[in-house]
Amino acid sequence: MTDVAFYDFVRGPLLRFALFVFFLGIAYRFFRVLFLGLPPDYAKPKGNPYLMAVKKIVIKPTMGWTFNEIFSRRAINFIGGFLFHLGFIGLTFFVPAHALLWKEITGIPFPVLPNIVSDILAYAALGSLIALTMHRALNPVLKLLTGKDEYFANFLIAMILFTGLLATRWAGGGSYIWLLSLHMFLADLLILYIPFSRLSHFVYYFLSVGFMGWNAGKRGVSF
Amino acid sequence: METLYDIYRRRGYSRRDFLKSALLLSTALGLSSSMLTDVVRALETKPKPVVIWLEFQDCAGCTESFIRSTSLLPADVLLDYVSLEYHEILMAPSGFYAEESKREAMEKHRGKYVLIVEGSVSPDRGGAYCTVAGRSNLELLKEAAEGAGLIIAVGSCASWGGIPHAYPNPTGAIPVSEALRGRQVVNIPGCPPIGDVMVSVIAGYVLTGKSPELDSMGRPKTFYGQTVHDRCYRRPFYNAGRFASSFDDEGAKKGYCLYRLGCKGPVTRNACATIRWNGGISFPIQSGHPCFGCSEPDFWDRGMIYTPLSVVSGGFGLKEALAGVAVGTAVGVSVAYMNKKLRGGK
Ligand code: SF4
Ligand code: SF4
Repeated sequence: MTDVAFYDFVRGPLLRFALFVFFLGIAYRFFRVLFLGLPPDYAKPKGNPYLMAVKKIVIKPTMGWTFNEIFSRRAINFIGGFLFHLGFIGLTFFVPAHALLWKEITGIPFPVLPNIVSDILAYAALGSLIALTMHRALNPVLKLLTGKDEYFANFLIAMILFTGLLATRWAGGGSYIWLLSLHMFLADLLILYIPFSRLSHFVYYFLSVGFMGWNAGKRGVSF
Repeated sequence: METLYDIYRRRGYSRRDFLKSALLLSTALGLSSSMLTDVVRALETKPKPVVIWLEFQDCAGCTESFIRSTSLLPADVLLDYVSLEYHEILMAPSGFYAEESKREAMEKHRGKYVLIVEGSVSPDRGGAYCTVAGRSNLELLKEAAEGAGLIIAVGSCASWGGIPHAYPNPTGAIPVSEALRGRQVVNIPGCPPIGDVMVSVIAGYVLTGKSPELDSMGRPKTFYGQTVHDRCYRRPFYNAGRFASSFDDEGAKKGYCLYRLGCKGPVTRNACATIRWNGGISFPIQSGHPCFGCSEPDFWDRGMIYTPLSVVSGGFGLKEALAGVAVGTAVGVSVAYMNKKLRGGK
């Protein structure tokens, strides 16, 4: 197979298939959980569950932001997690090549980042991903919570970041197209894999955090 | 036998002109400057190359490009130097005499002549889709390839099948390398390829007696080792995220990168950005048009001339995304409902 044929395959049929599975899978998982519903609870709510649900979603990300919490106890989780998510979201949507893809899918024009900013984001995301993975592997509690799923996902994302960085840094040479295609092939795999893995937490996050708030509101307790 | 230097003298050029060409030629071939004296000596002494140029399913655009190669050799010198023993468009004889002179040249220069093929080959239906002098193209190709010292496929048609090979490929067009399996074929793709590249490869064969170093797809590494994007002068704008959004917006006027307008430079290997066209004057991107990707296989079938490279080829828009969401929602809701039923509504 020639490199261009492989390139055309990963940006054509494979990407189309992956995107379709992605949208289908995410919607499936979200609604399946949502419509599962809760067992009927006949007690009268003691507070306002819906308000608390929204409140929890809005303020949850900032709840642990005390100096002590961040720097003395869970530095890697907080800083690494923050940098990784910032980088991942920034790179996924605002690298010019990616932004044009999203525009095609959604019809909305996305702003684009200059290379230097995407580079910084990529280094930050890659570095924090490595730190977070090591932390998972070494921390006695996290180790128990971590399965093959996490390692595979982290490895895949790290490879995508790495090949993406290499591709933008590429200065001449015929293997560029293989490298670019590899980057896109791995991204296709990730898109396919997300609905089947814990990476779909970006959907469940709102559901579970909202539920926690709702529950607290129902019982009239604070969180 | 006349040499390149003899031709320069006969045409009234100075030695300085000759040396300039020798220097350009060795630079184009990627030879080190210490080899310049060897190059000059070879061009002074080695006889000019004998070329047999066959045309099959083509448009003669490659020929047009070839005779306009003026960066390395002046046009009049070029046509004297590259001794085109057979070329349907450029030779004086026609009909029976043309075929006769080809046969003679092939016998006389057996094992030494350069065979250039322009256009794709179609072996389908016994070669009925393309015949010359009543003989099928495949037969003519095999006959001429037999005694050739070097075989060059010029243009995307001869290198990859090109436009005749585009879907649905009604004539069953194939590239020269496929028709001549087992023989080494130098591919110089492009639609058309840069004339100076063709001339360099021919002159390089005179100088070294060998084919140039080729990549895995049979292309000379010196000219096809990098992408257009690698050497594009608009690359700083690409890096800075500055793109033209239409052919006449502010960005286009400022010379911003043409990626958004569909530039295929990042996945196209060719020397346009370095050697440029028409005696080094310009190249498509310099004139404000995105690279078309004409030197890559099947560029025609890939369509999407004006859509950015990163967009899903074949298309994936909001409609497709919503269709996925709708199917997922329907299945998710029904499975949840069934689960609930099974648990007796609890
Ligand atoms: S490669 Fe292009 S210019 Fe050459 S024969 Fe084919 S269509 Fe014509
Ligand atoms: S114009 Fe094309 S080749 Fe030049 S930098 Fe932009 S994308 Fe690359």
